[in-house]
Amino acid sequence: MVHGDTRNPLTELRRGVLEHCVLAVVRDRESYAFDIVRVLASAGELVTSEGTIYPLLSRLRRDHLVTTTWRESDAGPPRRYYLITDEGRRALDAFAGDWARFRDAVDALLGGGARGGDPDGR
Amino acid sequence: MDGDELVRDYLGRLEAASWPLPPGRRTELAGEVREHIDTALAEAGRRDTVTVHNVLERPGRPEEIVATEAEIEPESSRWIDARVSGVAATVSAWGMIEIAAILLLSVGAFLLPLVGPAIGLVLVWYSSRWTTREKLIATVIVLVVFILPIVGLLSAGGLSQG
Repeated sequence: MVHGDTRNPLTELRRGVLEHCVLAVVRDRESYAFDIVRVLASAGELVTSEGTIYPLLSRLRRDHLVTTTWRESDAGPPRRYYLITDEGRRALDAFAGDWARFRDAVDALLGGGARGGDPDGR
Repeated sequence: MDGDELVRDYLGRLEAASWPLPPGRRTELAGEVREHIDTALAEAGRRDTVTVHNVLERPGRPEEIVATEAEIEPESSRWIDARVSGVAATVSAWGMIEIAAILLLSVGAFLLPLVGPAIGLVLVWYSSRWTTREKLIATVIVLVVFILPIVGLLSAGGLSQG
């Protein structure tokens, strides 16, 4: 999500899928933003700058794909917890199907490309 | 800078970078990032300079967060466009009118007493570059420094002749 590396295909991919990855994190349990970031970071490759999750969460709220609840915290100020809505679940299910087809198509091409691109011509 | 100063500096940079955002969203974003930093520091269990430096690396540069907001939030994007183009329009209005007004109010006051400052004031009020407050301040200064003394002198001269 850095302007300077917009040509990086991973950056573009990350931008495209991150919204639905966040929905997947809050699909089964409420989480607060810091926790969502932690899960995404542990998955690898999904988050570069943690602060950029907040504009994304704002959009998910506005689009009614998540609901939020403020809860007291044992340490520090109250936290906003996120949970997927029915609308968000539908969006996530649709994306899961699209993603599977997309991934298979790219995998098939990359696999074929690797065979066709054998530098020894075999 | 100690740890707390580093955090204040970071949040100050975020506040500066987020100036074109809608006011409500700007406040909300600052609160979210502050909460993020507080949570990370609480988890780290220390607030020494090195720990704070590492924690502040995690949210990324404030400008990057605001750029992401502009990219994915249509409302924020509209606000940013409007605010930035507003500034551009204001800056572009800094032209001959303002320069002429300043010349008439300064040099013109000596070359063309009364008339110069008077025309300068008309141009000040005609300008779209300056705010009403600035125009009022300019008017008061001109009245006090240039016009009232001259009017006073003319009145005094008239009285002595009478």
